[in-house]
Amino acid sequence: MAWLLVQLKLRLVRNALRSSTAARTSFVVSTTFAGLAAIGTFWVLAQLRLLSSSVDLTTVIFSLFAVGWLIAPIFAFGLDGTLDPATMALYPLRTRPLAVGLLAASATGAWPLANVLGLLGVTIGLARGAAGVLIALVAVVLQVLFCIALARFTITSMAGLLRSRRGRDLAVFLFIPVFAIFEVLGQVIPRAAAAGGLSPASFAGVDSWMRWLPPGLAAHAIQDASNGHLGDALGRLGLLAVVIVVLGSLWVRTLSRALVTADTSARSSRVHNAALPLGRFGPRGAVAARFLSYQRRDPASLAYWAITVVIMVICSLSTIIGPHQHPAVVIGSAVLGAAFVGAFHANPIGLTGPAFVVEATALSGRRELRSYFSGQNVVFTVIAIPLLTGVSFGLAALVGNLGEGIKAAAVGLAGLGAALAMSNIFSVVLAYPMQKRAGSPMPQQAQGYSGHAFGAIFGTLVCVAVAVIPVIVLGNVTTGISAAVRLPVLFGCAAAYGFGLAWLGVRAAAIAAEGRLPELCQVAMRTSL
Amino acid sequence: MIVANQLATWSTRTSGLAVKEAGMSEPAITVRGLHKSFDKKEAVAGIDLEIAAGSLAGLVGPNGAGKTTSLSMMTGLLRPDAGRIVINGLDVWADPAAAKAVIGVVPAEARLFDRLSGEEVLEYSGRLRGLPAGEARSRAAQLLDVLDLTADAKRLVADYSTGMRKKAALGCALIHNPSVLFLDEPLEGVDPISADVIRRLLTRMVGTGSTVLFSSHVMELVEQVCDHVSVIDKGKIVATGTTDEVRAGKTLQQAFIDLVGPRSSDEEGLSWLGSSSS
Repeated sequence: MAWLLVQLKLRLVRNALRSSTAARTSFVVSTTFAGLAAIGTFWVLAQLRLLSSSVDLTTVIFSLFAVGWLIAPIFAFGLDGTLDPATMALYPLRTRPLAVGLLAASATGAWPLANVLGLLGVTIGLARGAAGVLIALVAVVLQVLFCIALARFTITSMAGLLRSRRGRDLAVFLFIPVFAIFEVLGQVIPRAAAAGGLSPASFAGVDSWMRWLPPGLAAHAIQDASNGHLGDALGRLGLLAVVIVVLGSLWVRTLSRALVTADTSARSSRVHNAALPLGRFGPRGAVAARFLSYQRRDPASLAYWAITVVIMVICSLSTIIGPHQHPAVVIGSAVLGAAFVGAFHANPIGLTGPAFVVEATALSGRRELRSYFSGQNVVFTVIAIPLLTGVSFGLAALVGNLGEGIKAAAVGLAGLGAALAMSNIFSVVLAYPMQKRAGSPMPQQAQGYSGHAFGAIFGTLVCVAVAVIPVIVLGNVTTGISAAVRLPVLFGCAAAYGFGLAWLGVRAAAIAAEGRLPELCQVAMRTSL
Repeated sequence: MIVANQLATWSTRTSGLAVKEAGMSEPAITVRGLHKSFDKKEAVAGIDLEIAAGSLAGLVGPNGAGKTTSLSMMTGLLRPDAGRIVINGLDVWADPAAAKAVIGVVPAEARLFDRLSGEEVLEYSGRLRGLPAGEARSRAAQLLDVLDLTADAKRLVADYSTGMRKKAALGCALIHNPSVLFLDEPLEGVDPISADVIRRLLTRMVGTGSTVLFSSHVMELVEQVCDHVSVIDKGKIVATGTTDEVRAGKTLQQAFIDLVGPRSSDEEGLSWLGSSSS
C-alpha cells in the first residue's frame, strides 16, 4: 500500500508536468526553490555555531518549519490528491495500511527532502561531539516525522471543511498572515538587520516556553547531548516520540472517521438583512449594494483590503523599528495604499466571472455603465478613506510626526481618486479572466494573461505615483501656514482633485465599455473561480 | 396559487400589448446568415431562423453543435462574425441596449453572484433592470415562492445546488417580465417537481403572448412543450418547423437521430462487462 501511494504521488507529479508548459515551469521553479531552501536553511543553521543564542534561534527555525507544514497542505489541498481521504474512501482499504501509505506519500517529494537536508544544518550549528551529532540526526528525523504527523492530522480533521466553500474561504483568510509573515521575513527583518535594529541577540530567551513544544524539545535535546547531558537529551527525544505516537494515533482515528463521515459542504450561510440596501438610488445604488455585500462576504475582497494595510505597514515598518526614522515614509505608505486599492480592483469583471452576464444584459447604455463604475467607486471610497487615513495617522504616530500624517491623508485622498480612475479604465481596456489554481487560495489571472495583470497593476501604481505629485508639493508649500487655514485648503484641494480624476475615469471607462460589452462578457465567462 | 396569479398579472400587463402589436404572424426572433468561428473552427456556419411571437420554440442538437454559441449571439453576449438578429423589431447588434431591455436570458452555466442570497440576487437583477426597489423585492419574493426557493431565500447562492442555481437564474431572467426569453438547457440538474413548475411557467408566459426559445438535449421535453423545433448540427440548422413537421410521424428522438445521424459505437471490446462474465 505504501509503495502504491508513493507511486500515485509520483504519477500525479509526472502528469502535472505533462499537462502544460506552465505546470512544467511551476515544477522546475518549485524544485529549484526547494533546493535553495535546503541549502539556505542548512547554511543558516550551520552559521549559528558561534552564537550564544544558537539554541533559541534553532528552536525558532524548527517551529517555523512546523508552522509551514501545518499551513502548506491547506493551500495544497486541491493540488495533492493524496491529501484528501475522500479520494480513498471508495476503495476497500484498511485504515492502518492506508495510514502508513499516506505517511509515505507525505514524505515523498522535493520539499520534504529539502526539509530534512536543510535541518541537518544543526549537526554543524548546534551539535558538538559524536553524541551531539548522533542525537542531532535522530532529532531531525523526529522533527520531520512530527511535522508530517501534525500536517496529516490537521488536514484529515479539516478535509470535510476544506472541500467545502467555507474551507476555501478559510484558506483565503490564512493567506493574509502568510503574506504578512512573508513580507516581514523578506522585507522588514533584512532591512531592520541592515540598519542595526535587529541582531541575533534580540532572540535570546525567546524559547523560555517554546523549549517545551515539540520543535523546542528536538533543538534542546541536541544542546543537552552536546553539553554532555545525554540522559536529558534522550528524555526530551522520548517525550517528542510520545507526542508523535499520540498525534499518529489521533490521525489514524480521524482517518477512520473521515472515510465514513458525510461531507460538511452541505452546511451553508444565511444572510440576516431583509433586502439589498440603497434602494432609492437606482442602478447605481443597486451596483453599490452588490459591491458592498461582496466587500463584507467575499473572502478575497476582505483579503485585498487586509493586504493593502499590510503593504502600507510593511512600507514604513523597517523605518519605524530601525534607529533612523524618516517621517516621509508615511507619505510613501499612503501612496502605495491608495495605488493598491486601485490595482486590486482593476479587474472587477474578471473577478465577478460569469455572473457579469446578469449585469451585462441590463447595463447596455453609456449612462447605465457610468452607474456601474461609479456605484463600485462609491463603495471602495467609503471603505478606503477611513482605512487609508487611519493607517496613515497610526504610522505617523509611530514615527512621532503627526504632521506627516496630515499630509499623508491628503495625498491618500488624491491618490485614491487617481487609483479608482485607473482601475475603471483598466477594467475595460485590460480586462482578463481569472482562475483559482490549486495551491493558491487567491484568484489569479488565467494562463496567458500575465501581461494584462502586470499592465493593469503596474499602470495603476505608476499613474497614482505621478498623479499625487501636485498634492505632495501643496503639502510642502503649506507647511508653515496655520492649521486652521492649511487643513481645509489641503484636504479640500486633495478631495476635489481626487474626485475630479475619479469622475473622468468613470466617463472614460463607460465610453470604452459601451462598444466592448460582448468582449467583456467573454472575459467574464472564461473566468473560473 | 395567489402568487401564481400575481405573476400572471404582471406577465399579461405588458406582454398582452405585445401580442396585439406584433400579431401572431410577426416573428419575435429573426436570424439571418449568422456565422461565428473560433480560431479556424466554424462553430456557427450560417444560421437562418424565424420564431413567431407567442411560440415556445426548442433548439436541439448534439454536443458541440453550436446551440450555446447561437443563443449567446442572439442575446448580445457574443459578437457574430456575420449575420443579423432582430428581436421584436429591434436589431440586437445595431441597438443592443433596446434589444436587451425586452429579453431575458438563462445561460447554460447558471453562474450567479455567489455571495448574495437567493432573494438578493433576484432583487439585484430587478433593480439593474430599472425596477423600483420595492417592486423588485416584491417580484423576487413571488418568483422565489413559485420556484420553491422561499425556504432558501436567505442562503448564499454559493451554497445552492446546481438545480437551485438554475431556478434562481430563471428568476433573474423573468423578474423584469421579458417579452422574449432565451434559456440554455433550462432543466439540467432541476428536480422533476421543479421542472414541472418551470414547464408550466413557460407555458403560461407563452399563453400571454411572450416568446420562449430554449435549447435542450431532452427530446421528450421538447416534444411535450414546444410548438416549434429547430435541429442544429455542425453549426447549421438541418430542420426547422412546427414540432409535428419536424417529427414527420416519428418520435422526435427518432427524427433527431435520423437527421443528425447515429454516432458509431463499438461495444465488442466490452465482452467482460456484465454479471455473467468474470
